[in-house]
Amino acid sequence: MFMISSINPTIKAFAVLIPGILLGFTFDVFTPLVYFIFILLVTFTLTDIPVIKWMKIFSPFLLVALGFAWMTTLYANQTFSYGDVLFSLWGIEVTTGSILTGISLAFRSLCFVALSLLFALTTDSTKFMLSLMQQCKLPPKITYGVLAGYRFLPIFQHELQILRQAHRIRGIGRTRGIKGRLNQFRRYSIPLLANGIRKAERVAIAMESKGFTGDTDRTHYHKMTVEKKDWLFFAMIVGTFVVVVGMSYYFGYLNIFGKQF
Amino acid sequence: MRQEQHNRTAMLQVENFSFDYENIEKPLVDQLCLTLYENEVTLLMGASGSGKSSLALCLNGLYPDAVEGFSSGDIYFHGKNIRDLKKGELNQHIGFVFQDPESQFCMITVEDELAFTLENRKIPGSEMSACISEALQAVGMEDFKNNKIHELSGGQKQKIALAAVLLLEPELLILDEPTANLDPVSSLEFIGLIKRIQKERGLSVLIIEHQADDWLELVHRVIVIGKDGKVIADEDAEALFSEKQQLLRQEGVFLPKQFTDSSGLEWKGDSPPLPTNEIILSMENMTFNRKGQSILKEINMELYRGEFIAVIGENGAGKSTLLQLMAGLLTPKKGNISFMNQPIERWNENELRKRMGYVFQNPEHQFITDTVYDELTFGMKLNGYTEEELEVTAAHLMKQYHLEKHRYSNPFSLSGGQKRRLSVATMLDETPDLLLFDEPTFGQDASTTQELMHMIRQLKENGTTIVFITHDMDIVDMTDRAFVLYNQEFAFAGEPDKLWEQEHILQQARLRLPYRIRKQQEAGVVYDLVH
Repeated sequence: MFMISSINPTIKAFAVLIPGILLGFTFDVFTPLVYFIFILLVTFTLTDIPVIKWMKIFSPFLLVALGFAWMTTLYANQTFSYGDVLFSLWGIEVTTGSILTGISLAFRSLCFVALSLLFALTTDSTKFMLSLMQQCKLPPKITYGVLAGYRFLPIFQHELQILRQAHRIRGIGRTRGIKGRLNQFRRYSIPLLANGIRKAERVAIAMESKGFTGDTDRTHYHKMTVEKKDWLFFAMIVGTFVVVVGMSYYFGYLNIFGKQF
Repeated sequence: MRQEQHNRTAMLQVENFSFDYENIEKPLVDQLCLTLYENEVTLLMGASGSGKSSLALCLNGLYPDAVEGFSSGDIYFHGKNIRDLKKGELNQHIGFVFQDPESQFCMITVEDELAFTLENRKIPGSEMSACISEALQAVGMEDFKNNKIHELSGGQKQKIALAAVLLLEPELLILDEPTANLDPVSSLEFIGLIKRIQKERGLSVLIIEHQADDWLELVHRVIVIGKDGKVIADEDAEALFSEKQQLLRQEGVFLPKQFTDSSGLEWKGDSPPLPTNEIILSMENMTFNRKGQSILKEINMELYRGEFIAVIGENGAGKSTLLQLMAGLLTPKKGNISFMNQPIERWNENELRKRMGYVFQNPEHQFITDTVYDELTFGMKLNGYTEEELEVTAAHLMKQYHLEKHRYSNPFSLSGGQKRRLSVATMLDETPDLLLFDEPTFGQDASTTQELMHMIRQLKENGTTIVFITHDMDIVDMTDRAFVLYNQEFAFAGEPDKLWEQEHILQQARLRLPYRIRKQQEAGVVYDLVH
């Protein structure tokens, strides 16, 4: 089998995006649960992401998903609050329907997070941009603009830190109140922006001085190609989703926007 | 100095060329005429803000379009007007290395950055790998092909920038203060590299530089642009620097030391007073880590009242970190720092900032208000001065630092030298006991640097202790004591004269001798090692 890191990034993005969006329409528990298990299987067999690392990034989202589920359970609208009343809390009646809808939402969010991680942790950001340029005809000006932007993030962070120190030296910590806070924000933003614009201008000039014109006719060092295995991956991720929805329908679980099929 | 005669073929001709960012009536670059020749190395000098960099960017056709500036007159490349060339065509004949190593790359890794140039030239993908290896070899960086650019040192970045530009196979190389950010040895290495490549490939080179000294042996001729934006000298270096010293001084241009017989940087008149033995700041077994990595280990130092100190070492040795620790901006992992005999963490923030000043490398970072006057009085207002006191002190500071005319200017709109003066002046509303400077002379012209040293002397006379981070060995030579950071520790602490005898340390920490000592050695004067 292939490793997911070797899949063409554009194809990978679509393979992850399509089931991600379609899952949003399923309101039963079965569909997202089965698909979630499938994504976990893919994540831990076809990639070399260390389990610990994955857990570390994933676990905060688990809490968020639980929060979502709880809120939905309490405040499910009429379409979803079918079934028996299980218990009532602060005058809100919780029914089987609302609990199932809540759990479904939790699994949907987890699916989305797992799919995103599957993409983000196996994709080189530079290659993703290059692939968008080569496969999706994204203009080189935007592609290289974004790539140059990647380099800016750590520089910006460093700059903000120095700015904080410099202002502390000037005694800014001594100004108080909401007005003082507002002024402080303004004081940070002007030099940060001024420097940011100046740096961006310099990079743009440096790029042009190396003969960059934004012309779409250029050769490629990293030739991004779409091969059979990329389509195979696409078919696997999207195909499994179709199969899962089919199964769900067959067993009578499928629920789209509160409509049982 | 290069004197050999050769047949000159014109490459780039500039005729009556003017350029300005806003208004062509009183242009920054005014009616310029000059010619660059094939296989010739030209040095372009002039005070800060005289339009050298702008002119250089006009030469390769990026300005005035990129900044929506105005220009008039013509530039010809091999006889063709550059306006008639296709976009990007001229850039492939002219390679440009910029001053700031940070902001001239657009890719993450070295190999991708070099490939970017080749892709622009539409070189087939299959040939790129070989080209990249060759370019890296030319600049001696063949082991860094897969490294990330932001992890390299300043000197290494500049070499990569040069490699990227060499892949254009340019006929003309423009270097805009390429060594300004580098430590002394990296700077010399880079100059040596340019010299070798120029010889091998027979390139034309145009160098923009404030400090001509180290470039002189490869320079054929020098062009000086005056403050009025006109060419005021265009001749070979020997003639210019020996005959027109007066003119160059007026223009604020650094004279190469070999022509003035001094570094130009020395105390005028009597030597300044010696430091007293009152301890201002002390560090004991101070250790600092960042992200689990040891930055400074077991540092001990004591600074005395009225002392002038230099902290030196190669890029990334931890000099700025040390300064931030002194200022109480960072907290050490272990050990004690005391300021005026009181642990720094026990100082009231308000009081501490009054008695200690810090001038950052980029003056803009320190500006917080909209006018020069507000900027100067900001600290005083916080300390509850009366309106009258504010007026008197601010007027005094503006006079002393030549900022009277700019009372209502926005600090961000000042020139480089003015910004530097303002950033120092804002620290002086009360006479501080300790003043810390992070590379204050970086990117400054001769007159700004001399002014700064004049300020330092006055401060020192008033009993302020001054700490400089610098790469300029001639400034180090003027200090009372120098501290050399190497391998997270002080490899040396003591008088600079003693440091100049420690060849091993100088080599390790990538430092070099100041001009004064080099000259003595060249002249064969027996240097008294015992002193």
